[in-house]
Amino acid sequence: MTNYKFIQIIKQLLGKKYLAAVVFLCLQCAVLNSQNKNEIKVVFQPFFGSYPLILDSTYVFENGQIEFSTLKFYISNLQFLKNEKIVFKESNSFHLFDASNIKSQNFTFTIPKGLLFTELNFNFGIDSLTNTSGAMGGDLDPTKGMYWTWQSGYVNFKIEGTSSLCNNKRKEFQFHLGGYQFPFSALQKISLDVESKNTLVIYVDVKKIMETFNLSSIDHIMSPSSEAVRLSYLISQCFSLK
Amino acid sequence: MKVLKYIFFIVISLSFAQHDDLFITPKNWPKPVYNFTNNALTKSKVELGRVLFYDPILSKDNTISCASCHSPFSAFTHIDHALSHGIHDSIGARNSPALINLAWQKTFMWDGAINNLDMQALAPITHKAEMANDIKSLVQKLNTIKLYKHLFKDAFGDSIATGEKTLKAISQFLLTLISSNAKYDRVMKKQEIFTSQEINGYRLFQKHCNTCHKEPLFTTNDFANNGLSIDTLLNDYGRFIITKNPSDSLKFKIPTLRNIEFTFPYMHDGRFKKLSQVMTHYTSQIQSSKTLASELKQKITLTSNEKVDIIAFLITLSDREFVFDKRFADPYIKYN
Repeated sequence: MTNYKFIQIIKQLLGKKYLAAVVFLCLQCAVLNSQNKNEIKVVFQPFFGSYPLILDSTYVFENGQIEFSTLKFYISNLQFLKNEKIVFKESNSFHLFDASNIKSQNFTFTIPKGLLFTELNFNFGIDSLTNTSGAMGGDLDPTKGMYWTWQSGYVNFKIEGTSSLCNNKRKEFQFHLGGYQFPFSALQKISLDVESKNTLVIYVDVKKIMETFNLSSIDHIMSPSSEAVRLSYLISQCFSLK
Repeated sequence: MKVLKYIFFIVISLSFAQHDDLFITPKNWPKPVYNFTNNALTKSKVELGRVLFYDPILSKDNTISCASCHSPFSAFTHIDHALSHGIHDSIGARNSPALINLAWQKTFMWDGAINNLDMQALAPITHKAEMANDIKSLVQKLNTIKLYKHLFKDAFGDSIATGEKTLKAISQFLLTLISSNAKYDRVMKKQEIFTSQEINGYRLFQKHCNTCHKEPLFTTNDFANNGLSIDTLLNDYGRFIITKNPSDSLKFKIPTLRNIEFTFPYMHDGRFKKLSQVMTHYTSQIQSSKTLASELKQKITLTSNEKVDIIAFLITLSDREFVFDKRFADPYIKYN
């Protein structure tokens, strides 16, 4: 809730009389809190081999060329661990990475000052409970284009583009991977060893991802299936610490 | 300070608390399936949902509303059409289901493709033969309209529409569509009595139909293969399309029988226009297959009088109050 909305509600509830006192107390709390906190930034950077990935740019791939128009995926349930124990867990942790929106590639967490961690865990995709809990907002809002309409469920990972390797007339490929119901649950857990630094950069190797597909034989997947589960696992192996 | 915090919390929770008169679980009914904690009903949200439900703005070219295929006078279905039609007179692949007692429904669509009432509206909004729109464009369109700015502000305290708010408001209206005042219900409450024909129909219904069309909702919400022969033009395998599990082949959602008098034609593909044809199907047209419902494996024998008696009972499930309820009617006049 933004401060403005919060103030509006308080205003309606109490009348202006107490407003100044309330605002003062809130600000004081905020100041006190910030002194004991540390900001951690997690950055997801897409690369194509050794080049940064830029949408609509052409890359050499296998014996042909490839171009990407869309790359979007969900990261959820971020946790920081030390010696296999969770030391910090983000609440309501859902992030949509979108290669076309630089802001969506950095997530900032406020953790207690001096907290050390050795491992970063997160889910690649959306869990089954969230998939069945009805309409959600923020990054989970269906207007984000990551929710199937003909069948319920989030698309965990979406990559689209063109490649000379595709066998269809338009040379297009489209992979919408997701599914939460047994036996086609595509959700993957990713665990990375990290150092207790204020900025953690995670490298997403899109070239390695494309090598898991075989574009000449399959150029699209758009529903939950065992193939979607298999590919989701292989893609989860393409995240590494820079 | 702490006390003040608690007071805020209580006051805020109370202001968002559900209005009990908007949703009342009828006596002796099971608990609703819908999770109201994430979407507590309020008058203004239900009203926003109602306006959206009747507004053709939901479709790409502003021609088709939810009510186009779910009209109140037919208990919120599309009568006279075996397969429902949408934008540019496109014909769909299934018969639109009646929208009745949705708060008790676990999954939606004939094949259960949709897992939560909130997400149901996305399917027709997007389908090329229905509204051919998408939720992002729809929300953008809503954000340019003065009436919706007012309605969203009233409902959510913020005039900006989002996908979440739009879908939740539609759910709110749909949740209020409760049908629980048919003659059957009044007889159960001992306010009226069945005729002798209806009593006999009820007895036969309990013997032959009640396992799947269980009272008081007249459905178990499960999926079953009721022995329909496959339409080779549609090749619709129902639940199998979603689960890809062969044991779900040819299974479709068991529909409620409430208001069945108003919701013709019948079955997922609308192949039967009359209840008498449905009776004939169950007594002499059952197609045997691996997934056929166990209840139908043994032939059901009914005399023609018995069939008529069952139909007489089914008509006691008609709820005229529900069909003509002003709270569920098109609010067009109010806003124009």
